[in-house]
Amino acid sequence: MEKLLEMAKKVCDQAEIYYNEPNSSEVLFQKGELHDIESQFQSGIALRIIKDGKLGFSYTKNLIDREEFLQNALDSLKGGVKAGYSFPLTKELPQFNTYDPHVEKVTSVEMVDHCQGMADVIMEETDAELEIAGYKETRTIRIMNTNGTDLQNISGSNGYWVNLIYPGGGAGLSRIFEEKKPFTVSKKDIAELIELYNSSSKVIDITSDKMQVLFMPGCMYTFLWRLLSGTSAKSIFENISPIKEDIGKKIMSDMISFYDDPHDDSVPGARSFDDEGVRTRKFSIIEKGVLKNFFYDLNYAKKLNAESTGHGYRSSMWGGDPITMTPTPSLRHPRIEIGDKSFEELVSMMDTGIILDGAMGAHSGNIPNGDYSVGVSPGLYVENGEIIGRVKDVMVAGNVYDTLKKVIAVENKLHTCWGGRMPAILCENISVSSK
Amino acid sequence: MHQRLKQILQKADADYADIRYEIKKNIFITLNGKELSNIGSTTTDGYVIRILKNGGFTSVAFTKETDAEKALKTAEENAELIGNTIEKPVKIAEVPVIKDTFIPELKEDPRKIPIEEKLSLLRHYNDIPLSHEKVAMTNMRYFEVTREKYFLSSEGTEIHEDLITTGIGGGITSKDGNLVQNVRIGAGGSDGFYTLRDLDGKFEERTKIVIDLLKAEPVKAGSYNCILNQGLAGVFAHEAFGHFSEADIVESLPAMRKKMQIGNKLGSDVLSITDNATLPNQLGFYKYDDEGVAVRKVNLLRNGVLTGRLHSRRTAEEFDEPISGHCVAEDFRYAPIIRMGTIFIEPQEKTLEQLMAELVDGLYILDPKGGQTSGENFTFGAQYGYLVKNGKKDRMIRDINISGNLYKTLMDITAVGNDLKLGKTGGCGKGQTNIRSCHGAPHILVKNVVIGGV
Repeated sequence: MEKLLEMAKKVCDQAEIYYNEPNSSEVLFQKGELHDIESQFQSGIALRIIKDGKLGFSYTKNLIDREEFLQNALDSLKGGVKAGYSFPLTKELPQFNTYDPHVEKVTSVEMVDHCQGMADVIMEETDAELEIAGYKETRTIRIMNTNGTDLQNISGSNGYWVNLIYPGGGAGLSRIFEEKKPFTVSKKDIAELIELYNSSSKVIDITSDKMQVLFMPGCMYTFLWRLLSGTSAKSIFENISPIKEDIGKKIMSDMISFYDDPHDDSVPGARSFDDEGVRTRKFSIIEKGVLKNFFYDLNYAKKLNAESTGHGYRSSMWGGDPITMTPTPSLRHPRIEIGDKSFEELVSMMDTGIILDGAMGAHSGNIPNGDYSVGVSPGLYVENGEIIGRVKDVMVAGNVYDTLKKVIAVENKLHTCWGGRMPAILCENISVSSK
Repeated sequence: MHQRLKQILQKADADYADIRYEIKKNIFITLNGKELSNIGSTTTDGYVIRILKNGGFTSVAFTKETDAEKALKTAEENAELIGNTIEKPVKIAEVPVIKDTFIPELKEDPRKIPIEEKLSLLRHYNDIPLSHEKVAMTNMRYFEVTREKYFLSSEGTEIHEDLITTGIGGGITSKDGNLVQNVRIGAGGSDGFYTLRDLDGKFEERTKIVIDLLKAEPVKAGSYNCILNQGLAGVFAHEAFGHFSEADIVESLPAMRKKMQIGNKLGSDVLSITDNATLPNQLGFYKYDDEGVAVRKVNLLRNGVLTGRLHSRRTAEEFDEPISGHCVAEDFRYAPIIRMGTIFIEPQEKTLEQLMAELVDGLYILDPKGGQTSGENFTFGAQYGYLVKNGKKDRMIRDINISGNLYKTLMDITAVGNDLKLGKTGGCGKGQTNIRSCHGAPHILVKNVVIGGV
């Protein structure tokens, strides 16, 4: 990589190399039985060069021919993608504890045994069509540029995903448990999930109405995608954010604080630099309902005459292979500040309503505008503070900026979920439609 | 190439083994508004090994040839672990040994067209919406993906097949005050660059829709009788029904598998659904899947009765049903899984006017905006629609998301039109992305559709 950077330096103004090496193994259980084991040993390199204010880009899985690789990037300069920014010089970053070497030693046998143990308990006590996945991943990221930056991050994680599917319906109660060191899911967590499943087995018919909805961490990416769209520097530049002019204004309930926390190394994946080598920090976007900041990468910061906030990541809404993408503004460690109510207290506060444990179709609808309209997957039904069953063929709809004005309470705990770490949020007067 | 793969595979200590090596070439151009934000071409490659040993079947993906032995060893260990853990050993269906090279014929080979010409064509189309003052933004991309695939199995199958996919796609966003609306646009295919010519009319039509949407009414939540246009009905065929024709999905859901038995009456008499990836010139076309099996047409549903299913070699054996050639991977990073090829609702006799007359009052909803299924439940969005009053198209509506139950909806399809149209752009995200996923339908009439509104 050093050699490649030297070669690039000779033919362009600036160059950056991004190296990504994920290694992973996953064991998958279906119907309570081991179904598959998949492993991946992958690596890849992406090259960005800047010459005469233009950007060149190429990537490869196997760095066999450096000259050809560099030539691909030089060829793409002809396209004329503007790059008004410079790659940063970043040094002396805080050290985080992101890698426990024991993760690599976790064997497929150990993960299979633990999954089987959980499966045996759950199958004994429920009629769920059970899916469980156990996984371990280590990932090395290295970023070097011609301005002197040379940063590396090694991270590891071990995780389990448990999904109790209601027979026939397909919708399931699912939870992610993830740590940066080898661990086992606690019996208490499994017992709580079993209890929630068994209390919601009865299917209840409801009529369309406005009611309370408890948005669970498992559906929170529905809000997340819309909030990210509204507060990304890309949307601000493109003039499609409905809250473009609202910095300093109160746009939602003062119970909502939304922030990025890349430095929290109590969970996997802490980062002191983003995928462009820019220093990261704990970063507030919405504080007590007031819009504080938009988030920037190098490119959109330059366009908007601002500084990068350390949010240039090679990712998309759908994941994808990081080396194939150029950085765009993105949050990797989003959190919503916890409140003061336990999950049980939130349920007991509800008169009539739905616990939206998972959402279907969060990617449909008008995301820039903040609108969502999702199928319950599943939706647990609450009456007089008690879960009495679940609803089917029901949709929950609204606009994120409106819904988050109607917050009654926020849970006192963060859960690892798709997209970040979130608490449950109880809202009132939400549109629920049914046949 | 096959010689190199043979050298790797012969070291495998297994009951069955296969290896797939792919070279993937990407050409990409992205415009955000007027601005070019990405352009380039690049090549990546990698391997997937699959091992069946002692009744366990598993895979390892790797990118460095020097990792081949490690990959084999890992796959063998994992296969043995599966074999020792599960009660019923995995078997795979027998298939003919094939030795073939298949390079598709292209009308205007996109690889021979300079990237400058591709950029200028994309700019030309992109300028159509941008010339309108109410259009706030466009995100438009050109993509060209060439998969050069080499497959080799321990049974002696040796296949080289190339898949070349081109497309132009993106979104157009309009804005009026704080109201933001968007529509999607897409074109392309599997058989050459010609599919991207002469699209001005299409770009003009989509621009008009996104501007009209600024004045459309939000639809009220509730239950409606609806006509779905071809694009939307195609998504229904794919999302709601198609995924449950994939044997690996029903296999994991015992209650669903019971309902999805061949011979069961699942839909109304007017409904027949087919998957046919052998249809030439369609986005979903291919000859061999990533297990080296020739794909064939599968009649999935005939007059409401379930008649067929999509299979891998493993599930065909497990279900004791005929092999179909539907086990496909996104690229060298993945082992193949069961995917639809070209799925569509078979056309019947009725014209759109006749369907409108039959509907009387309800909604006419058009063009997909993403969909998702979870067991028998599905949700998907429509880009726009119209109220229908007394059999006539009335005011435009927006914010349309529908939700339903597969079995109820299959029975609630009361009429099917005569105007079958197959999609030009795909994209299905069942764990991996399948850019060749193709679906279509004629107009259909569905009773009691739940609309979420906003």
